[in-house]
Amino acid sequence: MRFKKFIRTYRPFTRAGMLESVAYRANFFCFLIGEIMSCFIMFFVWKAVFASSNGETFMGFTMEDMVVYLFITFLTGYLTYSDGTYAIATEIRDGSIAMRMIKPCSFDMCFLFQELGHKIINVLFIFAPLVIGVEVYRFVITGACQFDIVNFLLYVVSLVLAYMISFYFNVSYGFMAFYLKNLWGADILKECIINFLSGATIPLAFMPQALAKVLNFLPFSSLSYTPVMIYMGMYSAQEIAFKILMQVFWLTVMVLLSKAVWNHAVKRLCSQGG
Amino acid sequence: MIYVNDLRKEFKKTIKEPGLKGSVKALFKPNNEIIKAVDGVSFHVPKGEMLGFIGPNGAGKSTVIKMLTGILTPTSGTCEINGQIPQENRQKYVKEIGVVFGQRTQLWWDLALQETYSVLKEIYDVPENEFKKRMAFLNEVLELDDFITSPVRTLSLGQRMRADIAASLLHNPKVLFLDEPTIGLDVVVKDNIRNAIRKINEEEGTTVILTTHDLADIEMLCNRIVMIDKGRMVFDGQISDLKREFGQMRDLCFELNHTDDLSKLNYMADLKLSDADVEVNYEGAAVSVRFDSNAVSVENMLSYTLSKVHVKDINLKDADIEEIIRRIYRQEVSIDEV
Amino acid sequence: MRRMLRLHRIFVAQYMKNLMEYKVDFLTGAISFLLGQIIQIAFLGIIFSQIPNLIGWEFNEILFIYGFSLIPKGLDHLLFDNLWSVGYFIVRKGDFDKYLTRPINSLFYVIAEKFCVDAFGELLIGLILMIYSVFQLKLTITWYMIPLFIIAVVFATLIYTAIKIATSAISFWTKASGHITHMFYMTNDFSKYPTTIYNKFVRTFITYVIPFAFTAFYPASYFLTGENPLFCIGGTVVASVVLFVISVFIWNRGIKAYESAGS
Repeated sequence: MRFKKFIRTYRPFTRAGMLESVAYRANFFCFLIGEIMSCFIMFFVWKAVFASSNGETFMGFTMEDMVVYLFITFLTGYLTYSDGTYAIATEIRDGSIAMRMIKPCSFDMCFLFQELGHKIINVLFIFAPLVIGVEVYRFVITGACQFDIVNFLLYVVSLVLAYMISFYFNVSYGFMAFYLKNLWGADILKECIINFLSGATIPLAFMPQALAKVLNFLPFSSLSYTPVMIYMGMYSAQEIAFKILMQVFWLTVMVLLSKAVWNHAVKRLCSQGG
Repeated sequence: MIYVNDLRKEFKKTIKEPGLKGSVKALFKPNNEIIKAVDGVSFHVPKGEMLGFIGPNGAGKSTVIKMLTGILTPTSGTCEINGQIPQENRQKYVKEIGVVFGQRTQLWWDLALQETYSVLKEIYDVPENEFKKRMAFLNEVLELDDFITSPVRTLSLGQRMRADIAASLLHNPKVLFLDEPTIGLDVVVKDNIRNAIRKINEEEGTTVILTTHDLADIEMLCNRIVMIDKGRMVFDGQISDLKREFGQMRDLCFELNHTDDLSKLNYMADLKLSDADVEVNYEGAAVSVRFDSNAVSVENMLSYTLSKVHVKDINLKDADIEEIIRRIYRQEVSIDEV
Repeated sequence: MRRMLRLHRIFVAQYMKNLMEYKVDFLTGAISFLLGQIIQIAFLGIIFSQIPNLIGWEFNEILFIYGFSLIPKGLDHLLFDNLWSVGYFIVRKGDFDKYLTRPINSLFYVIAEKFCVDAFGELLIGLILMIYSVFQLKLTITWYMIPLFIIAVVFATLIYTAIKIATSAISFWTKASGHITHMFYMTNDFSKYPTTIYNKFVRTFITYVIPFAFTAFYPASYFLTGENPLFCIGGTVVASVVLFVISVFIWNRGIKAYESAGS
């Protein structure tokens, strides 16, 4: 019963998110094309790299692995991207965050369900084409179907967890707007650092061993590297279990962090009067 | 000075049905509709006149102003100001006009107010000594001194509006366009701004074109008004003409001896009037009846009232311009709905 | 022209005052750009630690091309960044009104209003990479290479700017076009690597359709090899002039179609 009520309360937010996404579909597609371009650039770079190197593999990756890595990392990054920072920062700056306190719904859930609406549309438009494209490519190159349904389903689970971690991390980060006048610079810095630490720019396997080890335990590898490696079948069953548990752990940390930050903000709002 | 001839502006608007289904449908088959925002407007303004431009929201006032200032290109028709066509040699033309949009500022948001003026000085190529004289004059009229060193974002709305008007006058324009210059201001500030505008008009002979929703602006500043509704001109003339032409609204005020008597009065049914012609307001025993003296004579109104009820005190008043305009807007709406 | 330069200086001065209001923000922004580039270069370093060369191009040559690509990109970013705002919100919110009621060229006014200091991150990295690789490669520099370099950089910058002008101007018809600018702009990353690594379609596309290849690889390859000056430098000039003329034409047509925003 409570679950039903919960769904009824937040479903309109998801619907609004979907409507927004459809309304801005042209922007969405142009962005997608612009962003995916960098995948193709790297595709050609890797092709040249493999053509120039002597062996079949490059630091343990085959060309086919690299292509899967590139495109699945892109897909994962796109789907786990969260706009929470911007949304919160805007509300703090124009003062409408105070309105959240007088509404009978939880602040994070409103954002989350609205963004889920966007994600549903995104999944419809890019998830299937990219996965099918990657699998067709793998089939053509290797001559055999490489698609593993178990890995794929585990990937989806890991992807959802990654998105949730990303969401709560971004919400917490957005509260920095209380202290900074403008979050533009800090936002770029965040993107840059996350892309590096999560292994989205450089696969963690290519980094110096010690650094890779540290990064594996930080929350950022949970955002991109873990789901991608699961998709590629690079982990054993035991490793997968461990990695997913790790994601759950970091999700819990992020949720608690965002609650703490929110409570702090409420206190601040109350004492300062907005 | 300003000649506007059969000015028209059309916009294309995409109609979208509500809901997700509508959005999806619009994705494949967009439904376009041509909106005639301005539909054949012509008028002439002599030098030094202050013209009030009125009309309900969305009537096309701003669109006309934007065409006169060279921001929008008319779909057809012409406008000529000081012998120049705004769109033709825009950069030269705009040197001779000043523009204030009440809802957005032209000031540098994060910088001290005087910084904006020194940049505008360069943009408009105002010589140094001219600039000093000008600032002194604007200072005197608009009292900028108190806040000229504060960042614009810290100014109050009234200060900001004064600063914006000064910014538009820095280069001594021949024509000043003011789009809702008193929007959102309190009564005292409104008065200050009106006085300043009048002073500038008197001392410099600046032609002023003003749009507003506050009819007090019009009554205090303008000798002439142009009213548009749904892109068409509804009225062009003196305020006194407006009063004569559009409905003689009168207020009949009286106090009943017995409050219960109110139910005996039924103007609409007994005098065969529409609800646009008569409106009854009451508070306890005090009643005021607003009526159109073209629809029913004062005599009939009085005799009907007196025949039905006993009253203590009775008097008759002219309605103000605001009431007349309200009535015109309403009438336009009801005509269209039929 | 002199008046424009004078105005530009005044705008820059005003903008710098503005920027000082947001010091922290701008510093973090510039550092982030720098960091992003360093990570990219580190990645190239990792790749090259495993292979002797990339289809005939050695690491230092790639660094030179990469560094060269950052110079026009950085200059465009430094001087013409406000065009992004045109496509994203200036037109949509009707704020373009302001530019049209001023007695200076609207395109110039929009461009001059903002001066994007965080571009120094890109310019700095670009210069360091080029100087470093020139020394590593022991390139001989002859006197006429200096004016040729300046010409190449100026016209390469103009390619970026022209593409931004043309795509931002689309917003005069569609209200917003920032995403279209973004789509075209992202193509520039193709120019960071030798065009020989791409297939024929991509090569033709970035040479003749959206000539980003002329912003880095072609001119840079001339300085590396000394071959084909006519195509590499002359091509840059021709491509950028053609593109710029088209973009100004679109811009001027766009102003006529500008619809402002309901007030």
